[in-house]
Amino acid sequence: MSDNKSNLFVVHNMHRLSFFIGFVILFSLVVIGRLINLMVIESEKYAGLATAIQERERSIKARRGLIYDRNGTCLASNKPVCSISVIHSQITDAEIVIKTLSEKLDMDEAEIRKRVEKVSSREKIKSNVDKELADEIRKMNLDGVMVDDDYKRYYPYETLASKVIGFTGADNQGIVGIEVWYDEVLAGTNGSINTLTDAKGIEVENKAKNRVEPIPGNNLVLTLDVNIQSYAESKAMEVLQKKSAKRVCIIVMNPQNGEIYALADVPEYNLNKPFELNTASEDETGNTQDKLNKMWRCFCISDTYEPGSAFKVVTAAAALEENVVSENDGFYCPGYRVVDDRRIRCHKVSGHGQETFKEGIMNSCNPVFMDVGARLGATNFYKHLRALGLFEKTGVDLPGEATSIFHKEENVKTVDMAVMSFGQSFQITPLQLMRAVSAVINGGKLVTPHFGLYITDENNNIIEKLEYEEKENAISAETSEKMKYLLDAVVSEGTGGKAYVEGYNIGGKTATSQKLPRGNGKYIASFVGFAPSDNPQVLTLVLIDEPEGVYYGGTIAAPVAGEVFRNILPYMGFEKSVVEEEKKSTDVFIDTVY
Amino acid sequence: MDRVEATNSSQKNRRTLNNSFWVKGGYFDYQILFIILVIVLFGVMMVYSSSSYRAVVNGLDSAYFAKRQAIFAALGIVVMIVTSKVNYRYYQNFSMLLMYMSIALSALVFVIGTASHGATRWIPLGPIHFQPSEIAKPAIIIYMAHACVTQSSLLNSIKGIIRLVFLPAVCVVLIGKENLSTAIVCFAIIVVIMFVASPKFLNLLILGLVGVSAAAAAIMLVGYRGDRIDAWLHPETSENGFQTMQSLYAIGSGGLFGRGLGESIQKMGFLPESHNDMIFSVICEELGLFGAIGVIILFVILLLRCRYVANHSPDSFGGLLCTGVITHIAVQFIINIGVVTNTIPNTGVTLPFISYGGTSLVFLLLEMGIVLGVSRQMRPEV
Repeated sequence: MSDNKSNLFVVHNMHRLSFFIGFVILFSLVVIGRLINLMVIESEKYAGLATAIQERERSIKARRGLIYDRNGTCLASNKPVCSISVIHSQITDAEIVIKTLSEKLDMDEAEIRKRVEKVSSREKIKSNVDKELADEIRKMNLDGVMVDDDYKRYYPYETLASKVIGFTGADNQGIVGIEVWYDEVLAGTNGSINTLTDAKGIEVENKAKNRVEPIPGNNLVLTLDVNIQSYAESKAMEVLQKKSAKRVCIIVMNPQNGEIYALADVPEYNLNKPFELNTASEDETGNTQDKLNKMWRCFCISDTYEPGSAFKVVTAAAALEENVVSENDGFYCPGYRVVDDRRIRCHKVSGHGQETFKEGIMNSCNPVFMDVGARLGATNFYKHLRALGLFEKTGVDLPGEATSIFHKEENVKTVDMAVMSFGQSFQITPLQLMRAVSAVINGGKLVTPHFGLYITDENNNIIEKLEYEEKENAISAETSEKMKYLLDAVVSEGTGGKAYVEGYNIGGKTATSQKLPRGNGKYIASFVGFAPSDNPQVLTLVLIDEPEGVYYGGTIAAPVAGEVFRNILPYMGFEKSVVEEEKKSTDVFIDTVY
Repeated sequence: MDRVEATNSSQKNRRTLNNSFWVKGGYFDYQILFIILVIVLFGVMMVYSSSSYRAVVNGLDSAYFAKRQAIFAALGIVVMIVTSKVNYRYYQNFSMLLMYMSIALSALVFVIGTASHGATRWIPLGPIHFQPSEIAKPAIIIYMAHACVTQSSLLNSIKGIIRLVFLPAVCVVLIGKENLSTAIVCFAIIVVIMFVASPKFLNLLILGLVGVSAAAAAIMLVGYRGDRIDAWLHPETSENGFQTMQSLYAIGSGGLFGRGLGESIQKMGFLPESHNDMIFSVICEELGLFGAIGVIILFVILLLRCRYVANHSPDSFGGLLCTGVITHIAVQFIINIGVVTNTIPNTGVTLPFISYGGTSLVFLLLEMGIVLGVSRQMRPEV
């Protein structure tokens, strides 16, 4: 060793090293403080931010609730399908993915290419893919192609009550009808699963966590009865074809509580293929979307019409209520009435001659009702229209309900009053008429027509009975009794004779409404009837839109209602009454129309 | 270990083995050895945890990086034990040679170096890549310790100091051209050794101020280093804050007790350099606050024990050697944990003994061997 100097020289300020070490320890304490801040105080913030980049949420579809009729027959169910999507960052061979998917799914290659090449976390290619086809694609194990299980709505009866039930869209959301009105009930809550991913977005196996189970949607029990509905539809279809009508509606409702047993609005459409036009709508003008909208539209709820003579039920009830007329008051019909400077004709040009009020209703005599209307006056008339709910929506549980169109009360002139008394010069929906007539015949209770009966759980236990508004005393019980008697006479002795069914007491009123503009030769023939007439349990409206040939309600609509009653009353458990003598004389009245 | 016996034997050694190359027998500081073994084994484990995902993604064996690290660790420990038996005074003979060699190698990098991460720092040496800046650190430690002992009078004047640090400064500049972080570490070693050796505070204070302002100027002048300041102050909004934010996500996810060993998510491609500069983030994420503090305490104990050796060195050369090694480890340690926690601006420095890197580990263990060598000849406490 050459240099021994260092052995003799000892640095005296080695303690300065302690300053340095002290500084290091101090700095370490600062870092520890920083760590405590990061890992304890702000831990949630940073861990949350980390989770946001590390996790990807995948939703688990909830099963949509089923729809049943009142007997428990399933009207809308689900079938398993799959949805197929691509994850851009995971695709290894884009060309193969594009080619395979376009072949398998029968889709345009350019369309798929656009989505495959789009830089997004997840791009949906197609939903509602058949399970088997999806399984084939799943088995191919293409990188970046995701196949997820899903449900598709399926309607076992296809066209049955299509305008009521409606259908769902690609994401199983309701689009029209009951499906959209009760969407919240039926939809359920989607579950989710958070999967951990690495920086490239590839899911890390066995690291799935936070699985939230989906909550299946609740089921819905409707007031509809499949048997009555299908009978009504077949009857309506029969009439539609026989009369080459544009549309035929048959509504069957319980006037006591507003439960709708059937709402046929033919032509119906196939709920499983809602985007295929049915034959009727192909003739319509406008683009495809307009045609589809028309096809899906429920006339009885979304459209208004002039109810015509059927509205005499309301006028008569109002007049009786105000005591401006009684059953046996005398009237004279010369076949017309001059109001102000206008001559308004009765349907019977030769006139009904001398007649009582009761006969006026039976004959559906316009001059009688013009007189009654004049006695009543606009103020009283409108008071009762309001009481019978004709200025408001019925509150039915279907979307797109139309409102009535009336003159403003202060603008009603004598002529208007005369015309309105027999159901012209204003517009209401068929369902509003049903509701008003219900109140007239059920003792004065204004019900809410409805389809929803119960909400049930997965195991069909009732969770909620759906309640609807009812307003008492729309008219007095006394008037109601009189009206039932008068309307029974319309069927047993008057214009509604063709609705007569052996062994049952049936009440009703015929109508033949001109469609606007007047004189276009288009009519709506209708009949509103109820049974049993002394204690009405079934109210039926038959509505034939633009029939060809004979267009009188009493001739073509009343017999349809009769047929419906003949079939559904025994089915609903109403016994034929034994008293069955005088009838057969109905034929006498057959020539009389209105 | 019986202290009295130990010191007796070291005194005996000093007498008898003063001039021999090998120091036979004598005191051996098992405390340092034990801490080093714990840190190195822990490091291999953490390298495995933090690199296995990357290894698999790159089509390698999941333990690829861990195995390489383990081999270097074994080699390094052998080097450490052998070095500890060398009489440290012999290094004085080679101080000049080592210094010139370091300068030459640092210059050589510019000629035959291979690039990695945008900087040329490596010399290919057969199957391994050798980082010449690593050899510069022990070379500067030995050179500075030797110079401060033999030319201690130079420390009294600014002019003298400049003469003293001229060669190491050349080396630091050459390194700093490509690798600012290592240059900072080397600069710190030079300053701390002079600080301990110098009889006067004032000169060093001036020197320190000059150094700090030079460093600040360098940071401000060089564009991309200015960006680092912005990334440090506003990591969430800065373009360059990505790495810092990923590190903070990892640390924040750890909480008190961590996700558990091997359970880090951030190592799966989110955290750049997860097995290297950012390994401390993975430690925090997997082992939590307690694990992180544990690691910090291990380092502090190691540094305190090395300081003990330095204070009991038989001569000032040994003391200054230890000072240099302590500075090297301490500066890298505080810069690394400071960067990872965003306490200081981002600069790429590895965590000593733990981060992946063969050259670095072997040379660090060699330096520990030097400290252990000094400990064999410790004088008794006065």
